[in-house]
Amino acid sequence: MGGVSVEGPKGGRRTLDSEINLIPMIDLFICCISFLLITAVWSHMSRINANAQVPSPPRPDQEPEKVEPEKMLTVEMKQDDKFVLIWKSGATVHNTSEVKKQPVEVGEGSDKQVRYPDLAKKIQEEWTTYGSHKNDNDPKQDQAIISVDNRAPFSDLIAVIDAIYQPKRTYKGADWTSFNVTFSAR
Amino acid sequence: MSAKPHRHFEHEMIKQPGRRLMHHVPLKFVQKRVQGGGGKGVNASLNLTSFIDFLIVVVVFLLMSFSASGEVPLDKNTKLPSAENTVDMVDAPMVAITGTQILVDGTNAGSTRAIEEAGRLMKIDELHNVLKNKRELWKQLNPGKQFPGVVVLQVDKRVPALVVKSVFQTAAFAGYPNVSFMCGQIPKTDKGPPGGAHH
Repeated sequence: MGGVSVEGPKGGRRTLDSEINLIPMIDLFICCISFLLITAVWSHMSRINANAQVPSPPRPDQEPEKVEPEKMLTVEMKQDDKFVLIWKSGATVHNTSEVKKQPVEVGEGSDKQVRYPDLAKKIQEEWTTYGSHKNDNDPKQDQAIISVDNRAPFSDLIAVIDAIYQPKRTYKGADWTSFNVTFSAR
Repeated sequence: MSAKPHRHFEHEMIKQPGRRLMHHVPLKFVQKRVQGGGGKGVNASLNLTSFIDFLIVVVVFLLMSFSASGEVPLDKNTKLPSAENTVDMVDAPMVAITGTQILVDGTNAGSTRAIEEAGRLMKIDELHNVLKNKRELWKQLNPGKQFPGVVVLQVDKRVPALVVKSVFQTAAFAGYPNVSFMCGQIPKTDKGPPGGAHH
């Protein structure tokens, strides 16, 4: 039991000792713990986005607008030893650079994951130089297209998407990814 | 006036103690108990403060790690990749690729064998139909609302990119252009400068 000793008045003869019954509180705590343990989720999953960039169907009542082709980053992962980064708008190539494929393994055993920190660093630098949508009020994102070898495992693909999402910008004050990722159809 | 005779009560209240049997036996434990000089009392009280502190810590920890979104069903044979730059899960149709099977919310929606044999990107008709039906159902249940077009792919990390691209493309054709890949979370390391160099 929890006891509370309260000093009586100065001239009084005895102190006022009152005891709070703590048993209901302990019962409540145990009920809370049981409920939270039963409903607990121990494996937290997340997701990584990609967008197919499907154009909306043309409206017959409107003349289609002529849109200037935007600068896009193509990340080619078709060679075993390197990534090729190409900035182009339409058929015009603005810049081409290469990054040596240096996978860094994270985790142990069957949970081993591959990451490409060098690629992420290079993409960050490239976006700083060639990226078109950096303004805080700009709702658009730069487009990244992944051109991947058909035999590449999905884990490699995710590692490259993760590297593309490394550069961050802000949109209306909130953190946002600089790129929107899609896949090359070939 | 004659003097009153001294009244003699038959049962006197106080009288001098007489002889007592076994008075030489000391009975020390009785003396101690009577005088208040004995050992510990029988009633012991437990201090509950540390127990309550422990309960509070456990409750706070469990509340902090509580997730209202619930657990995402995951096949035990599927090994998901992990990534650093991820976002929270959303409530959307789940397309799982386990081995050669394609499942949409647990129901069979095709096989990957044909794609692997063909060796080229192709549309999976069964998956396309299932997703299209799901989209129609959503539109009927939510009239007037804009369809989000989000689908979550639960893909084993060993699955080849050709299969992933085929499923991705099929989902886009079925009206789900926003494709998310389910993955684990790697703790974030160093971040690049937010917002880049120019603003």
